[in-house]
Amino acid sequence: MIAEQNTLFIQHFWKDSNRTLEYYLKHMNGYEAAKKVLGGMTPDQVIDEVKKANIRGRGGAGFPMGMKWSFIPKNSEKPKYLVCNADESEPGTCKDRQIIRYTPHLLIEGLLIGSYAIGCRHAYVYIRGEYVREAQLLVAAIDEARAAGYLGKNIFGSGFDLEITVHRGAGAYICGEETGLLNSLEGKRGEPRVKPPFPAISGAFSCPTAVNNVESIANVPHVIRMGGDAFAGLGKIDKSGGTRLISLSGHVQKPGVYEMQAGSMTLRQIIDQFGGGLLNGRRLKAVIPGGSSSPVLTAEEIDVVYDVEPLMKIGTMMGSAAIMVINEDTDMVKLLLRITKFYAHESCGQCTPCREGCHWMESILHKILHGEAKPADIDLLVDVAGNIGGKTLCALGDAAAMPVQSFLKKFRPEFEAYVKGQKRHA
Amino acid sequence: MEKLLSQKFYQAMNELEPRYPNKKALILPALHQAQAECGWLPPEVLAEVAAYIGVHEAQIREVASFYTMYNLKPVGKNHLRICTNVACCLRGADDLMSYAERKLGIACGETTPDGMFTLSEEECLGACTTAPVMMANDDYVENLDINGLNDWIERAKNDR
Amino acid sequence: MPKCLIDGKEVEFSPGENLVKVAKRAGVEIPVFCYHPGLSVVAQCRMCYVEVEKMPKLQTACSTMAAEGMVVKTQSEAVKKGRQGTMEFLLLNHPLDCPICDKAGECDLQDNSFGHGSANMRHSEERRTYVDVDMGPVIQKNMNRCIHCTRCIRFGDEVAGIHEMVAIKRGNNIDITTIDGKQLKTEYAGNYSDICPTGSLTLKDFRFKKRAWMLKKTETVCEGCSKGCNMEIQHEGNVVYRCVPRENLEINKHWMCDEGRFNYRYTQDESRIVDPTLRAPDGHKSAAWQDVVATLESKIRGGEVLFLLGTDLTNEELSAIREAASTLRTGIKIRTFGTLGVTKTSEDGSADNILKMKSKTSNLNGAEKLGLEPLAGDAKADTVIVFRGGRAALPRVEAKWSAGVGVFNREEASGFDSVLPGLAFTEKEGTVVNHAGIGQRISRAVRPKGTCKSVPEVLMSLLNTKSKAGQA
Repeated sequence: MIAEQNTLFIQHFWKDSNRTLEYYLKHMNGYEAAKKVLGGMTPDQVIDEVKKANIRGRGGAGFPMGMKWSFIPKNSEKPKYLVCNADESEPGTCKDRQIIRYTPHLLIEGLLIGSYAIGCRHAYVYIRGEYVREAQLLVAAIDEARAAGYLGKNIFGSGFDLEITVHRGAGAYICGEETGLLNSLEGKRGEPRVKPPFPAISGAFSCPTAVNNVESIANVPHVIRMGGDAFAGLGKIDKSGGTRLISLSGHVQKPGVYEMQAGSMTLRQIIDQFGGGLLNGRRLKAVIPGGSSSPVLTAEEIDVVYDVEPLMKIGTMMGSAAIMVINEDTDMVKLLLRITKFYAHESCGQCTPCREGCHWMESILHKILHGEAKPADIDLLVDVAGNIGGKTLCALGDAAAMPVQSFLKKFRPEFEAYVKGQKRHA
Repeated sequence: MEKLLSQKFYQAMNELEPRYPNKKALILPALHQAQAECGWLPPEVLAEVAAYIGVHEAQIREVASFYTMYNLKPVGKNHLRICTNVACCLRGADDLMSYAERKLGIACGETTPDGMFTLSEEECLGACTTAPVMMANDDYVENLDINGLNDWIERAKNDR
Repeated sequence: MPKCLIDGKEVEFSPGENLVKVAKRAGVEIPVFCYHPGLSVVAQCRMCYVEVEKMPKLQTACSTMAAEGMVVKTQSEAVKKGRQGTMEFLLLNHPLDCPICDKAGECDLQDNSFGHGSANMRHSEERRTYVDVDMGPVIQKNMNRCIHCTRCIRFGDEVAGIHEMVAIKRGNNIDITTIDGKQLKTEYAGNYSDICPTGSLTLKDFRFKKRAWMLKKTETVCEGCSKGCNMEIQHEGNVVYRCVPRENLEINKHWMCDEGRFNYRYTQDESRIVDPTLRAPDGHKSAAWQDVVATLESKIRGGEVLFLLGTDLTNEELSAIREAASTLRTGIKIRTFGTLGVTKTSEDGSADNILKMKSKTSNLNGAEKLGLEPLAGDAKADTVIVFRGGRAALPRVEAKWSAGVGVFNREEASGFDSVLPGLAFTEKEGTVVNHAGIGQRISRAVRPKGTCKSVPEVLMSLLNTKSKAGQA
């Protein structure tokens, strides 16, 4: 486990007084990285450093951040935008909220460096509507930074200007999808866009745009401060640099947001060492390893290194590093119904398989749980999931299909028990 | 036509306007601000927002109806939104919801006859490590249990 | 030109063309719902799946641009399964009320279901239902049939320039409607019905009138204005049931206005004069063709004679009248009429920045090119003969005797001493020249009503009468 004093985030969390600019300057080398960047690095040098750092996107897709920035055209006449995705909405995930609450200046400094790197003069933070207080805290921190000359005109005398605007969402999971987010930012329904064009070419307000997760951006000052290679070295596995914030929830003794060096622990170690094992001495049944859309793992599958590639190898994903621990008392049918209901509720309704299919899966699961289903309905459910997964305009369809497919693959007898009348819903 | 939204609304919007390349981007902030003033978004208010932004009223309706936080029907003075998504569900959110329904004497989705409370089921609030969670008006109440829920409701009742 | 491979066939394409278009050229029809060549691409219906080599997932052909060397399969097992899945999803909540649906027989949902759906129904859930709103006189709404393709919304936004069809709520609960059941305002509402791939938006005018497959189709040009929108007259048993636009990318693209669409109605209105009449002391009375022709001939022998020619007549009609006039006698003055205030093509122009033109007749430009002069002021002469296709706005006529040749209703007829009923645009052939100088053919869809005669026929009898009179 990482020593507290070596963490990039956690050591500063949980104390309200830590969110001030004063604390940031005093204890976190605040705005030193930005000063270095604006004082003498070219945008390309910044991007190179971020590339070296191996920051994989922390929002769920895991796309290398430096690469994303390098897609922004350099010679475009249009304004360019850096948009921070603070829509944190994949069930299980709540790490970005803590960054905003306790280290908002890390995010602001990251936005400053990132904006410089891609040539953005006005950055937006799209924050989920429910984070009312977090939005207020962030706005206050931005005001603080501007008052101190870290934002606004001619920052550090470099000639570089930057404004940051906090834009609140209003209750829609799909706005976590980057093009849904951009539509929402533009005052539209948060319906994902057809790609291509990708945001790097035509994003916010039809201009080149990079959309990055809060944690990804908040890591950037660390990268500059430590150097990309050293940051990458924090990762204990190829292709993943730095540390990872983990949201650990469900049936563990100590749910919470934790930090680990990328690839340094197995799922079991995380549950035991961070989570203190299972709640009330119950036995482990399953783990949802990367937000509710990620394929579920059985208790036997958790000796896996917790990072992008090892999880992919066993057919699941790290997503936004939200681990939900499920004990032996949990009814997997009921749980899957709850997950499926969520995706049906959050489907934007644009595309056919997601709009119709998610709701249909919910109906079938409802019938199974209430003893109204036929044995053939289980196969039907799996087939319907197959007609949604990989077939939709955005990833929500996959997010809805994967839990169904994995639950049915790994916990099928529980579903059969209902269908055969051996089990009844309490 | 007489304006339903206050001077404060228009002032706030005018301050925000230069922060976006076009006025349409003000739709979400405008709806938030309007709802903060009116408690909910009746058609006349939506029409006023549309007129301010300079778009067809239908466009505002489309947007407003897409997001769950815009109240297109009146809500109670206190809006309790209990998360019942996975992490909260694993930690007993369903029991909290049933308790709230019994305590308030209404079903989820309803408002008490005295207009004091609206009870809603919320999808994941993004505070899963402190589940179960309730959003009570603008604040999160985390690590919620039946006692905490009971206390909150009692306090709100006495605070009328 | 770059080439790609579709189902093994090499096809050329121009950069920026999507796979639906390119495949069509290779003779491969890719099923679509939300895609429409005249609207933006949204890739929402997920019907046009194809397999593209080197891409792991199925791609939507509408949103995939052809690329050099691209290898596309439209008939693979994965494609078939994908399309079958989409069809199943679309029918989950569709009422399958084809027997009483006006769209039946020309319905994309039916056709694609037949071509790509499954024979088995696997769901037993209750269907989603809606209460429908009245959207005004043109469109009948049936939301239960809607498949959320959003063509109507995009048509409003992108073509008609009005955001009146909207998507309210989200996900499975979306309602595609007008807000609060407002009536449609656009003057292009009929297109909503044309582009709707199901029976969700149908024409009230056509409701329960005829099964689509019974209709015969005649390609022609709208006579509503000088735009010259290409359209199809759909008819059966000598009755016109509706007009729909035909694609012409140079002129009207895929659309037409309601005025043009419903313009045909007057041609079969019961007030239309379909037999020759002569004024009697107590109003117009039917008369024999030979009598009205003889009367007309006698009235133009002497005095000042003015022939007024509607710019709603075809080039052929206009030329024939001019020629006949010079044969009949010297000194017949010829002037044209059509739209108040728009007497020349130079005064014409777009009326709404969509399709409608200021000139409300189809052949102003043709008449002008034939060298015919427009009428200035009132029509004053001893004898005035008005030749009219049916749409040109009648000028005030001051004459000792006047006659109308062509299409008139009872009220219009009362202003003349005689009416010699002619053929409507649905009943004749000829050439018209639109505002931009494009000449187009109009075609005959139905037989003339009553004893209506064509302009050449009337002219011929007139000349015959004159020569008989001369011999006598």
